[in-house]
This record gives sequence, C-alpha cells and structure tokens, in this order.
Amino acid sequence: MVENSPSPLPERAIYGFVLFLSSQFGFILYLVWAFVPESWLHSLGLTYWPQKYWAVALPVYLLITVAIGYVLLFGVNMANTSPLDSLHTITDSYAKKQQQKKHQKEAIPALRDVPINEVNKMFFFPAKAQHTQH
Amino acid sequence: MEDEQSFSDISGGRLSLQRRYYTQSCREFCLNCPRLSLRSLTAVTCTVWLVAYGLFALCENSMILSSAIFITLIGLLGYLHFVKIDQETLLIIDSLGIQMTSSYASGKESTTFIEMGKVKDIVINEAIYMKVIYYLCILLKDPLEPQEISQVVPVFQSAKPRLDCLIEVYRSCQEVLANQKATSTRS
Repeated sequence: MVENSPSPLPERAIYGFVLFLSSQFGFILYLVWAFVPESWLHSLGLTYWPQKYWAVALPVYLLITVAIGYVLLFGVNMANTSPLDSLHTITDSYAKKQQQKKHQKEAIPALRDVPINEVNKMFFFPAKAQHTQH
Repeated sequence: MEDEQSFSDISGGRLSLQRRYYTQSCREFCLNCPRLSLRSLTAVTCTVWLVAYGLFALCENSMILSSAIFITLIGLLGYLHFVKIDQETLLIIDSLGIQMTSSYASGKESTTFIEMGKVKDIVINEAIYMKVIYYLCILLKDPLEPQEISQVVPVFQSAKPRLDCLIEVYRSCQEVLANQKATSTRS
C-alpha cells in the first residue's frame, strides 16, 4: 500500500522524469511540424500530418477558452445565487429535519442550526439578559 | 408621536426614516428615497441625443432625431411611473396585520397587506446581492404547519437601507410583536 504523504518517492521521481521527457519531445515535435516546410517533411517520407492551420488555431482556441472560462464561472455563480425572497437564505431541508438533543448539565451543547429569530435576538437586543434555550 | 432621522442606503445615497408611533400597538415607518436628480436626468438625455445625432450624421435620416426625442420622453414617463420609487412605508398593527406601501414618483401607489395570522416573525437577514447586504424581511407561516417558514417577504426592497436603520425598525417591530404574542396567549 502506498502511504498518503506528499514526500518524494522513487516512483514519483520516475513519473516526473517520464513526464518531463515526453513534454519536451511533444514541444519539439510541435515546433518542427509548425515551422519546417511541407516539402522537406514529404521528402523525408513523413506525409500524414494535420494541416498547418491547426498549429495556430489550437493555441488560439485554448486562450479564448481560458478567457471565457473566467466570465462563465462568474456567470454561473451569479445564476446560482438565491434571490432575496427565497427560503434558501433562511433554512434548508437538512436544518428542518435536525434532531433536538436533550441538554445535559455542564456539558457543551450539541451542534445545531440556530433559527434566525434567535440569532437576531442575540445580535440586536444587547440590553436583554441572554438566556439560551434548548 | 413623530420622529425623523437620516440614514444612508447601501450605495451611499441619503435616506430619511420617519417613525410614527400612533399607539403602543400601531406603528408606521416611512423611508424616503432621494428624488430623481437633475444631474442624472440631463446626463442620460444628453447621451441619448448625442448617440441619435451620431446615427443621423451617419445615415442622414431625420426620423432618427424625432424618434430620439420621443423615446426620451416616453422613457422618462415610464421610468417615473413604473420604476422610480420615492417612498416606502411599513405599517404594523398589532392584531390586524402588516401593510407595505410603495409610492412611485408619478404618484402611483402599490400596497401589500399581510394578516397577522400568517406572520411568524420579522427578522434581519443577510444575503448576497452583488455583495453581502442586510435586509429586513417578514417570515410567513402556513396556518396548517405553524412551526415551518413557508415564505420570505423582503421589505424596503428599493430603498435598501443599511444596518443601523434596519436595527431601529427591527426593535420597534419586535416590541409590537411581543406585545401581540403576550395578548394572544393571555386571551
């Protein structure tokens, strides 16, 4: 079993080196395909390449995807925000079904979702003596 | 007894809150929003007319100029009648219910009434609206299930006052509601 720790291991060193070599090879291959004229590649016998149009088109597609991703993420977040009159700002299905545990003396009270009217009383009526209810 | 205080809304504009305590169990809160300023009106009119003049310079059709004047007039009237709210009022009557009134700049008034049997509580809630804002809302309960909140009705939606103003209104309303609960459990 591999232990779950981020420390260096021999297997990870090998993975890293393989990744390094293959990425360098891929980059050199991309440069060769983009810059070397077709006639030279054909004379070597390598004829089955994609069109050179894609050597420029694919990086541009990638950059536009990244830029649109920023806008899209912002838009998705805004679309998922509940409106001000939605019940989701107050409670949800888990809070409605929570169990009321009995209060034991001198123990820390159990974790629960405090209803919003109790929270408001605690915040906005500082003059009253606080008495928590269970 | 009448009381007037000045607060600010979430974008920094000035609001004025008028509190009227008619009796122990009947109170009214009026929030006055700033009126439509001459500066913003001239700014919008100038931009619309400059754009129309630019289009006219491009295509030499004088209908664009007259339609721009028309659009500005109709747009201003529609804005005053449907969008611009000048005053928002919250009237809370102990045994009867809660009434919210919005008066538009053209004089139109729209009223909503919620009877006390449906009101569970009035709370200040926080939510995200471009940033986190506090707003006062009325929690409604279904008469068949008194423990569950069935609906949330935000108040002062177009005035959007800040927390200090909301705390004043909240404390006042809670006094009325506590009074109401005491009388309803006694009777």
